[in-house]
Amino acid sequence: MFRILTAVPWLPLHFVPAGNLLGILPILIVGGGAVIVLLADLMIPRRGNLVLPVVSGVVLLGALGTAAGQWVVHAANPIVFNGAYANDRFALFADFVILVTALAVVALSPGYLRRRGMEEGEYYILLLASVTGMLVLTGALNLIVVFLGIELLSIPLYVLAGFARDEPLPQEAAMKYLLLGGFASAFLVYGMALIYGETGHTGLVAIHHVLTAGAVAQQFDPMLLAGIALVAVGLSFKVSAAPFHWWTPDVYQGSPALVTTFMSVATKVAAFAVFLRLFSATLAPYRAEWQVPIAVVAIISMVFGNVVAVAQTSVKRLLAYSGIAQAGYILIGVAVGRPDGTQASLYYLAGYAVMNTGAFAVITILSRRGEDCDRYSQLSGLVRRQPLLAGLMAIFMLSLAGFPLTVGFFGKFFLFSAAIHDGQLPLAIWGILTSAVSLFYYLRVILIMFGGLPEAAPDGELKVAGVSLDGAAVAAPDAAVTVGVPEGVVVVLAGLGTLALGIFPAVIYSLLQGITVVHG
Amino acid sequence: MSWPILAVILLVPLGGAAVLLGVPASRPRVIRLSLIGVTAATLGLSAVLLVSFLAVPSKGASHLTGTANGQSLSQVHSPVSFQFQEQVSWLHTSSSLSQFHPAFNEGNNAFNQAGPPPINFSFHLGVDGLAVWLIALACLLFLVAAVVLSRHEERLKPFAVLMLLSQVGVIGVLTSLDLVLFYFFWEAALIPLYFLMIGWGDERRGRSALKFIIYTVAGSLFMLLAILGVYFVTGAQTGVYTFDVPTLMAAQSFVSTTHASTFSLFGHSFPVLNPQDWLFLAFALAFAIKVPLVPFHSWLPDAYASGKTPFLVFFAGIVSKLGAFGFIRYNLTLFPQASHLFQPLMMGLAVASILYGALAALAQQDVKRTVAYASISHLGFVVLGIFSLNIDGLNGAIIQMVNHGIVIAALFICVGIFEARFATRSLRDLGGLAKTMPVMAGMFLVVALAGLGMPLLNSFVGEFLILLGAFSVSPAWAVVASLGVILACWYMLRMYQGLTQGPLRAPGGPEESSVIEQAVRRVGRIDLGPVELVALAPLVALMVFIGVYPGPIIHYSRFSAAQYVQAANRGTVASPAAHRVVLPGSGHGGQG
Repeated sequence: MFRILTAVPWLPLHFVPAGNLLGILPILIVGGGAVIVLLADLMIPRRGNLVLPVVSGVVLLGALGTAAGQWVVHAANPIVFNGAYANDRFALFADFVILVTALAVVALSPGYLRRRGMEEGEYYILLLASVTGMLVLTGALNLIVVFLGIELLSIPLYVLAGFARDEPLPQEAAMKYLLLGGFASAFLVYGMALIYGETGHTGLVAIHHVLTAGAVAQQFDPMLLAGIALVAVGLSFKVSAAPFHWWTPDVYQGSPALVTTFMSVATKVAAFAVFLRLFSATLAPYRAEWQVPIAVVAIISMVFGNVVAVAQTSVKRLLAYSGIAQAGYILIGVAVGRPDGTQASLYYLAGYAVMNTGAFAVITILSRRGEDCDRYSQLSGLVRRQPLLAGLMAIFMLSLAGFPLTVGFFGKFFLFSAAIHDGQLPLAIWGILTSAVSLFYYLRVILIMFGGLPEAAPDGELKVAGVSLDGAAVAAPDAAVTVGVPEGVVVVLAGLGTLALGIFPAVIYSLLQGITVVHG
Repeated sequence: MSWPILAVILLVPLGGAAVLLGVPASRPRVIRLSLIGVTAATLGLSAVLLVSFLAVPSKGASHLTGTANGQSLSQVHSPVSFQFQEQVSWLHTSSSLSQFHPAFNEGNNAFNQAGPPPINFSFHLGVDGLAVWLIALACLLFLVAAVVLSRHEERLKPFAVLMLLSQVGVIGVLTSLDLVLFYFFWEAALIPLYFLMIGWGDERRGRSALKFIIYTVAGSLFMLLAILGVYFVTGAQTGVYTFDVPTLMAAQSFVSTTHASTFSLFGHSFPVLNPQDWLFLAFALAFAIKVPLVPFHSWLPDAYASGKTPFLVFFAGIVSKLGAFGFIRYNLTLFPQASHLFQPLMMGLAVASILYGALAALAQQDVKRTVAYASISHLGFVVLGIFSLNIDGLNGAIIQMVNHGIVIAALFICVGIFEARFATRSLRDLGGLAKTMPVMAGMFLVVALAGLGMPLLNSFVGEFLILLGAFSVSPAWAVVASLGVILACWYMLRMYQGLTQGPLRAPGGPEESSVIEQAVRRVGRIDLGPVELVALAPLVALMVFIGVYPGPIIHYSRFSAAQYVQAANRGTVASPAAHRVVLPGSGHGGQG
């Protein structure tokens, strides 16, 4: 087909060999899908229509199938577009996780948007555009492409964060996200400029060759180090690692729960893909320089996220801080830098996607017009109203806490294993200590849902600095929450996935065994 | 045995839980009977296991591949012999280095260094002479708990399901022969226990449950690090990267653990801790919290005071033994030299637990808390026996673990009976009940006497052997520990007398008729009912049987005790006790 197309003189495709287009086929599908959804949105009546979510779902499924096909076929040379992009198995693995998360989000969308009263077609367009950016990011093999991907994923998210236009909190969240996101992009692009200035290349392969050639690697190079540091800061912002996390709690809490789901999982996976490729692979010759700072960021994230999460009274905010802590755990794998560190990080990311999507899905199902029901007081005694949802939420909480039987356990197991193997005992010990702290708040959520005891109902806890977060009276959440079929499927699949991957770690680990990373 | 009996024992309660999920909650009688049926079937299986284990002559089991110190490891057997082994691969990774694109792997690149060692772990099950007894005890106590569980219990169905899941976890801990599998069960067992704690019990149960879980998991997480540490340290030194317990036990003979240097403090010189010592401490922390030993015990009184009787029967009866089991199975065999290095520390903590538990038990008005502190004191004896590191002490510890499980379960049933009838468990509110509850008072007397270590009842046997073992290591510790026996008489009889003797005292008033009336109103009777009798009778019978005729249990646990002592004495300067290690064919002639 491409041969036919390139034969047509008025199409500029003859500049692009067909193999290159095949290499970025998932991106093309999702990006094209966004355009189709944009057009469809113009042509069909607005509200309550299922065309857009169905089309979006089909597009994502198509991309998923294509990525799976590419995984199986696995091109001998995965580099396309003159070294700008690689569809190696590393990128494909991250693509899977992102696409599956996006599918779950799309499945949850119609019900959630209806409950919250914000059914707009733009939602799906923005979602697909953001996914396109993430797919660009996972295989980016050039600093410019990295930046392109980051912006393409971020800008739709700025809009999505403020999608509940009538409410003040989302507006604040969107504004905060936009401003701080802009800052992070500035750090990133400045860092890239410095790296380019020192190495003379923007391609990761070329940069790696320059660094290994010895001319640069053997001497102290403040400009290059500053560049690496600024890139690390920019990426740390995107993965919401402390101390670059300040946007996270407000944005996670303020954004509509479903947007937060997408933001907290898919964005993190895409940003970590770049993080891993850049640091563990391309900048590996400078490992001695960046390893300690990255480890310090990991430790600060684990400590800060877990300790502050203890004081929260909203599940969304809790998951925001827990997300900071989880970023710290995943950074262990980046700091280790070896193949086992990379594998452990990818394993944890996959598990994190399943369990975090599940936890947020429960919150989205409980939402109603005008607000997300995520305060502890609203979850109190949930087991009596929604036993299945409460049970699933308990599984997700146990998994985030790292209990066996759930995917969270093996995630931490592989990460700590990689850290100890690399001799980075402090990372493992801080991980252990903070995991112990995290038990308190994860298990308290379970206690609140299942106990409904006088002490568990957080009477005093709702007041922070004398201000009642709940307002004067908390209306009892609707006893009759109706769980739609697609929502039920998503949350049950997430629960089963959390358990299955926790009992049979080989399912993902065998995939990771075959991973290749093109890095230069 | 041609069929995988251990897997079946694990799967029966698991399948039972699945079946119970299908029973409608409106049929409490069916739920209770099926629960009893499942636990009885498991007990039957464990009896089969016990009998066939004792019938089979022990033989060494596992082999190693690889070399260490120029010596082939394939000749080496695990120092502890396991039977009924079953092994299925769980995760198997290759150690291939080519995870990264080969075309770009040139130059000075971190990825050209050695790749990760393979990570392999398996579902490896097996039992030794320590585990079979505890499995039998566990199955017995779960059956007793099922009998005690009233069908009028609120939310009966989830309780029954969670109980069976706890049983799977407990038996999993006792049967797993792979460190990852062990940790997996060790932590997973906490999940049903946590739900049982937050769902049923008094009004402080949420706090108690959170405290229990955070204490336990905090300790366990350090054990997880230590498990990885054992994996890499052993692997680096012997070339055998494995989580397999028998293989690791055998490989420890080749792990260098000499203390290269010392540092001096206050005129004494101390060895600088080597990795093995740190790993020992990490394992010991997890187990010390679970037992619990004294500085780590504060979760226990709250948890025991909050829980319901059926829960306490197996929670106090078997879960706390898992810590002692861990000390024997892992600390002694994986870190023999560290076991000797830390012997004074562990014995000191054990004696501190014995005395602190006893004194605290004396200070309680709440009978449940009295029993809880008594439990701390009794488990101190178990740990004292373990870290005597000789056959008598370890043999006594194994027997005492079984005994304590029987006694503590019976004690909790007894105080639960008082609590159910009078809605109080304070010694201030109760007294003189022997006249209105004669059968109960009789049973309670036997149980209390067993609890204080009366000769001809079961605890005496274990405590005597433990003190004998401790005495040969350190007469001073043994003498101090025996104070715990004296204090046990005091707090047990104080509780017994307070409840049953003297003038009648109960919340309803001093008249006998009103006391009886309120008990009848709550549970339908004042004295023991048939169900309570059925639950208590086998426990009391076992107390008397083991007390009067301890020969078989001593005989059949002595072989394992000897194996563990031998494992713990590898590579150490032979202590006087070590010379006496003879693998005994017969029980009593074992020590020379």
